[in-house]
Amino acid sequence: MSADVGRSAIQPGVGTAKIALQAGARRPPLRMRPRLEHVVMGAAIASLVVLVVLPLLSLLIGSVRGEGGLSLDHFGEVLSGRLYLQALKNSLVLGAWTGLFSLLIGVLMAFVVSRTDVPGKRLLQLTASLSYLSPPFLTAIAFVYLFSPNAGLVNVFMRDVAGLPWLTFNIFSMAGLVLVTVLHTFPYVYLLASSALQSVDASYEEAAQILGASKLRTAISITAPLVAPAILSGTLLAFVNAIALFGSQAIIGLPGRIVTLPTRIYALFDYPPEYGLASALSLVFVVITVVALYLQRAFLARRSFVTLAGKGARPQLMELGPWRWVLLGFGVVVFIVAIIAPYATLLAVSFSKSWGLDFWKGLTLANYKFILFDYNVTQRAIFNSLLLATLAATLAVLLGAVIGWIDLRTLIPGRKLLDYASLVPLGLPGIVVAVALIQFWLAMPFALYGTLAILLLAYIGRYIPLSVRAANASLRQVDPSLEESAQILGASWATTMREITLPLIRPGLFAGWLLVFVPVIQELSASILLFSSSSITLAVAVFNLYETGYVEPVAALAMINMAIIGAAIWLANRLAGGGIAEKTTGGQGAPS
Amino acid sequence: MAGITISGLSKRFGAGDAAVSGLDLVIANNQFVTLLGPSGCGKTTTLRLIAGYISPDAGTIHVEERLVSAPRVVVPPDRRGMGMVFQNYAVWPHKTVYENVVFGLKLRKLPGAQARRRVEEALALVNLTGLEARYPNELSGGQQQRVALARSLVVEPEILLLDEPLSNLDAKLRERMRAELKQLQRRTGITFVYVTHDQAEALALSDMIAVMHAGRLQQYGTPHDVYARPANRLVADFMGLVNLVPCKVLSAANGVATVDAGAGLRFDIAVASGTSAGNAVELVIRPENIRLHAPGGGNGATVGRIADSTFLGNISEYVVTLAAGQSLRVQTHPRQRFAVGDAVAVEVDAGQAVCFAGHDRHRAGQ
Repeated sequence: MSADVGRSAIQPGVGTAKIALQAGARRPPLRMRPRLEHVVMGAAIASLVVLVVLPLLSLLIGSVRGEGGLSLDHFGEVLSGRLYLQALKNSLVLGAWTGLFSLLIGVLMAFVVSRTDVPGKRLLQLTASLSYLSPPFLTAIAFVYLFSPNAGLVNVFMRDVAGLPWLTFNIFSMAGLVLVTVLHTFPYVYLLASSALQSVDASYEEAAQILGASKLRTAISITAPLVAPAILSGTLLAFVNAIALFGSQAIIGLPGRIVTLPTRIYALFDYPPEYGLASALSLVFVVITVVALYLQRAFLARRSFVTLAGKGARPQLMELGPWRWVLLGFGVVVFIVAIIAPYATLLAVSFSKSWGLDFWKGLTLANYKFILFDYNVTQRAIFNSLLLATLAATLAVLLGAVIGWIDLRTLIPGRKLLDYASLVPLGLPGIVVAVALIQFWLAMPFALYGTLAILLLAYIGRYIPLSVRAANASLRQVDPSLEESAQILGASWATTMREITLPLIRPGLFAGWLLVFVPVIQELSASILLFSSSSITLAVAVFNLYETGYVEPVAALAMINMAIIGAAIWLANRLAGGGIAEKTTGGQGAPS
Repeated sequence: MAGITISGLSKRFGAGDAAVSGLDLVIANNQFVTLLGPSGCGKTTTLRLIAGYISPDAGTIHVEERLVSAPRVVVPPDRRGMGMVFQNYAVWPHKTVYENVVFGLKLRKLPGAQARRRVEEALALVNLTGLEARYPNELSGGQQQRVALARSLVVEPEILLLDEPLSNLDAKLRERMRAELKQLQRRTGITFVYVTHDQAEALALSDMIAVMHAGRLQQYGTPHDVYARPANRLVADFMGLVNLVPCKVLSAANGVATVDAGAGLRFDIAVASGTSAGNAVELVIRPENIRLHAPGGGNGATVGRIADSTFLGNISEYVVTLAAGQSLRVQTHPRQRFAVGDAVAVEVDAGQAVCFAGHDRHRAGQ
């Protein structure tokens, strides 16, 4: 390197002409001009208000608006009427049993995977991931095909072929509802428990053992208290998600005369719709959910003393001897019940002419042909759902990125409030979101109800917490100086975003996109109140076909639904370069 | 090129103490100016205010005649034509070395061939020729720092801001980069505003040093001034090891006083006007301005005893306890050796000592 080169490169007037930034040359007067970032940020804040805040407010107003002004009559009826109290009780019973069994299965699986020498751990992890991703209403339908009292395949086989009528099982019962729900909710406990178990620094346990504690004693007095907050937190998430699932509660609960909060709210929209009562009952529902989520956050916050040691964590693996085969057997049973049974059933039904003991005698592609080519309702439903899921995921991710950016990169007063507002939908069951949107948009001067637009708003609003969290997490990985150094070189906000920030958080954004896309493509709880014949969605079409008794086409449509989810995961994985599926199942999820 | 005029600048974050308060500073064109102080002194906040990342609560910043910062109204960083080098380099990990450096030129819509030549020149300037196609994760810390420098220099900023650019490098590399930075500034004539907490770095690099503490400017002067004539105790203390010796003024006239440190240790020393006999003052004496002799040696020496000795290679450091009980730290040539417990004659170069009133007021420099 010679000094001359440097001089000509850097000194103005020597060799090269001085290049100045345009604005610098113009010397603009010193005042705040609206810049693109202000417009974008303003739009993001306004969107959040329209998506979340205003609908919630109209829900509140709707619940206290009586015939002559404000009244608490709706709440009075909701909290004393036999129908409502029964629904409340059923929801709580369902939530409690589901929470308990999720706890047992989730903790046992987490323990086996992270702390023992049981073989086949990949199978157990796969079971948890797939259970989490499976649409719960499809699992419910599959189990109905196996265990409905009269026509269920297993029941028919036990009663008529094997002659073992006492081995039949009625799925249309609280036990059946709990079974189907647990298959979807135990992963919450599993994921939180296994991450906690893996992050407990082994030296804590070694310290207890060197002091003379046995393995059992160590597990009870050292390990258990350290991971208990995470486990309780997972259990509460399982509870919150369980009681919010409209699909399985309608498919299994209603034939068994088990009415729960979501199905009761749904019934209130039978003509004539009871908006006031629906709003009041929705708010009762929200209170339960919010209390549970508040406890969950509180428990999770206590995890901080559980050492996220990272490097020091090398969990001891317990040698189980012959017991490991017992535990492997347990894992295989869960895998069969949670994954093989529902998927194999739906697959078999979808290729059957007529579902029954000898279904294999008449295999056909007619069901797929029917839903894909012949029946315009299912065609429209598939198209609508693909369109809505793509739009909702994309918009939610963009909105999430802007909200995350405002929270982390600006000093705008109230930015924390914005962040909280974006988390509010976590506490809103799907059907409550629908009630709130209906209340709000019916009061507006233009007709949104029954259009694709209101579904889009519902989806973005419901899943905005997921995309905000994903954007937030990835933005935290990007040091602000990376943006600042582009800025000082003359890059505008838009250029900085396009050239620096967005490329750097791309994997996180794809993860966020998938986190929204997957639940939207299977969304039923809110869609069921918002759809019209022109804006019907995939999940609603499945539900309606099922209700009208199209057994085989339902299964074919269910398989299409699963195929779309699989394709989306594959695609996002490819675009973002791996690790997405783990991120997807590692999230805390919103109530369904 | 451009100078910077800062007047009455204040910034407070939240409800805490002001990060910067009432800062007045004139940074002349083509100078290498260092903002020096301990962490939390407000030096980085000042730099970010100059860059325009944050807006001041009070005061103004002018670049030449152009007002760039005032409360609530700031020219955004992308309109200031400055450059900045960050402590963590902030080299974009998804762009190659070439793409990093050419970024600013692309924004200025420089034609491709010209841009390519300028990038090559800038990379040559920082000794990175040949690494254009590498990604930052394939570079060492020092190389990344050079990329950051090249990226800032290639657009020919009038002012380059550097936020502790060397603090993440190991000692040897730091020394080399220090020399290169100084050369670079002299050669390009760009105004450098350099933030560091390392006084040795500041002394070695700067034309002017602004010593800051608790958001306030303590002294602004040449490295020599700041080191040899600290404006107050804080500055003296921050600019390297000092002995603080409490004294009593015996007599004072014409800005010169005779002070007594006890145990027969007396100095004639320049003092602030208004100092009079009987005042308590504090003497700041640097360890290298004290000489040790065998007992009986030295001029006007007092007697002490070696309490501790540390061999540091290029120097030896002793702690000497005087008869009156004070301890002094002394640095000597390593060949001059004493053992712990030895009696020594202590000679203080009073001409190099500085005297402050007993109750130190934080004086703003200049």
